[in-house]
Amino acid sequence: MTSTRSATIFAFALLAPALIYISIIVAYPLFDTVVLSFTNAQLRPTYDWVGWANYQRIFGAGNFTEIIIRTLVWTFFSVSIKMIIGMCGAVLLNAAIPGQTVFRILTMPPWIVPMAIGIYMWAWMYNGNFGMISGLLQNFGITNGPVAWLAYGHTAFWATIVTDVWIGVPMVTIYFLAAMQSIPKDLHEAAWTDGAGRFYRFRRITLPLMLPAIITMSLLSLIATFNSFDIIYILTNGGPSGQTTTMIIDTYKTAMGSRKYGEGAARAVVICIFVSIFCLVYFRAVRRLGQGEAK
Amino acid sequence: MNTKRIFLASLVALSGTTGLAGMAQAEEINIILCGDVVTPVYTRLFEEWTAANPDYPVAPELVGWGQCQDKVTTLAVAGTPVDIAYVGSRTLKQFAQNDLIVPVPMTDEEKAAYYNYVPETVTFDGTQWGIPVAFSTKALFWNKDLFEEAGLDPETPPKTWEEEIAFAKQITENTDAAGFGMIAKTFDGTMHWFLHWIYTNNGQVIDADGNIVLDSPENLAALTAFKDIVPYSEEGPTAYEQNEVRAIWLDGGVAMMHCSVSCAGRGTEAGINWGVAPLPTGPSAEGPGTLLITDSLAVFKGTGQEDKVIEFGKFLTSPDNQLEYELSEGGLTPLRPSAGVDTLVAENAYWKPFIDGIEFGGPEPLLTDYIGFQNVMIEMVQSVVTGAAEPAAALTKAAGELEQYK
Repeated sequence: MTSTRSATIFAFALLAPALIYISIIVAYPLFDTVVLSFTNAQLRPTYDWVGWANYQRIFGAGNFTEIIIRTLVWTFFSVSIKMIIGMCGAVLLNAAIPGQTVFRILTMPPWIVPMAIGIYMWAWMYNGNFGMISGLLQNFGITNGPVAWLAYGHTAFWATIVTDVWIGVPMVTIYFLAAMQSIPKDLHEAAWTDGAGRFYRFRRITLPLMLPAIITMSLLSLIATFNSFDIIYILTNGGPSGQTTTMIIDTYKTAMGSRKYGEGAARAVVICIFVSIFCLVYFRAVRRLGQGEAK
Repeated sequence: MNTKRIFLASLVALSGTTGLAGMAQAEEINIILCGDVVTPVYTRLFEEWTAANPDYPVAPELVGWGQCQDKVTTLAVAGTPVDIAYVGSRTLKQFAQNDLIVPVPMTDEEKAAYYNYVPETVTFDGTQWGIPVAFSTKALFWNKDLFEEAGLDPETPPKTWEEEIAFAKQITENTDAAGFGMIAKTFDGTMHWFLHWIYTNNGQVIDADGNIVLDSPENLAALTAFKDIVPYSEEGPTAYEQNEVRAIWLDGGVAMMHCSVSCAGRGTEAGINWGVAPLPTGPSAEGPGTLLITDSLAVFKGTGQEDKVIEFGKFLTSPDNQLEYELSEGGLTPLRPSAGVDTLVAENAYWKPFIDGIEFGGPEPLLTDYIGFQNVMIEMVQSVVTGAAEPAAALTKAAGELEQYK
């Protein structure tokens, strides 16, 4: 009994630094944000308790639901495209081709370049008058004049997705490549001996064995993309006409732009709920995959 | 026991050092300036002030433009305000209503020394809440070569909106350039941009009694003219802010644009054959107008030395010191008429339109949430530029939304 108790104390002692760290860095700010979301905190140092008023206001305003839907759509397309391109990239980089190492290195720049610099580079490429994309389209006679990609809701929406994909693909590719390389080669060799084609081998061996990696990467990417701020903020600042305003941009503008800290906190709590759901799905998936492997 | 003694001794030493440091800094005047460098004029003025007021030495802190406003606000909200800071005058009402700054009343003599409406840019509830320190007005810059290429007289700029639209159309149809450089990006400049149109047609956003009057016939005419010139502007104006349109103008991609005096030097440097004139006016205008934007020095509450800080702010912006600062900066419109300004205009004729526009110009409106105001104005402009809304409907909607910020 005594040894059990001392073992417990020892365990807690080992955990204590992490618990204290998480309490200060994560738990307290989270708790404080939830409390703040029930107040009318603004610039003034004092504030009052307003109950659910902030939540009623944000869900009463028609555009918040629109922003949630836009965020989900933006995230869905961005993550899906990253997964598809990342998988294609991993397959190509895994192939026995000359210069394989060079290609693997060339995959990295979007990840290595500081994100803000990469985004400003894209902002210039999207520029209608001086941008490379508009220039190329005009040179090849595809468009008659300049095209300002960030000027219209639909093109700006897709432009921000393309930039997010550009930044996110290297990580997905490298992760998938590592997973692909961990698949025993003899499985492919056996299938090849039995006459299985490349696509058949990919579909029946590679994909099933990579499923844990695909699910893990998808969910991690989903969480990161859902909260992606820099890209939209720098490229469009949520415009034009709010057509690229996602939940995180909306929260920033409310809390830090208009200094409505209480209402901004309420919006942040809604984001937190969404991300928590994604995390729950992720942990459940990880557990199931672990159980599957154990069997 | 020894440990306890050492601990107490350490505490005493620590409190002593921090206390002394605190006392030594207690009477410093901390000023936050936006930008990358303290200008030589300010450096000299700070030294002059410190020499005359050794108990109140100046401690300047530079913060980049992008973070400047946020830092000042955060310090004030956190209860550790800076003594005095450079802020956009449009923020003053919000600061004042949240009890973060102290009033800095002007005497009638001080008010009279400024150009028209300059005191109004810092006035709310009948008193002044900041000391104007930088002033910006705009005028029309045009590319004479593009005018000539389009068959227009290169020496005759448009004087009215009607002419401006007609000229822009002629240039767009007869040259490779767009007639007009328009700003409509999701950026504060878009709000400012439209306010120039409002103030060149005798319009207002909020009247002297605090009523929102955005949906007035004058403003409807302004937004309609704004819409009418879109087809003759650069492609996709909602993607461009001021600096980006200026780059297109400097590249010969647009023939006309509204710009501050900084475009004069840049145009010459880029080899543009340019001219500058007062902003074209609308049908209700009584004379040349422009938006009068000022930045101010705001004195924050709770530092315990507000009176001395106000004295410092007034010293920094006294007529002679202010003019010296304005002339050294190059692109700032002078805040006060003076012999020095007359000399400036006589030596550099391109300054004249920037001064002439002041008479019928208007101040940046003071509202309780300037970001909220800005967002409403940007949304209104973009909805018209993109064709999503008609001017009348957009104005009515925006006017309704502004009620919460008055």
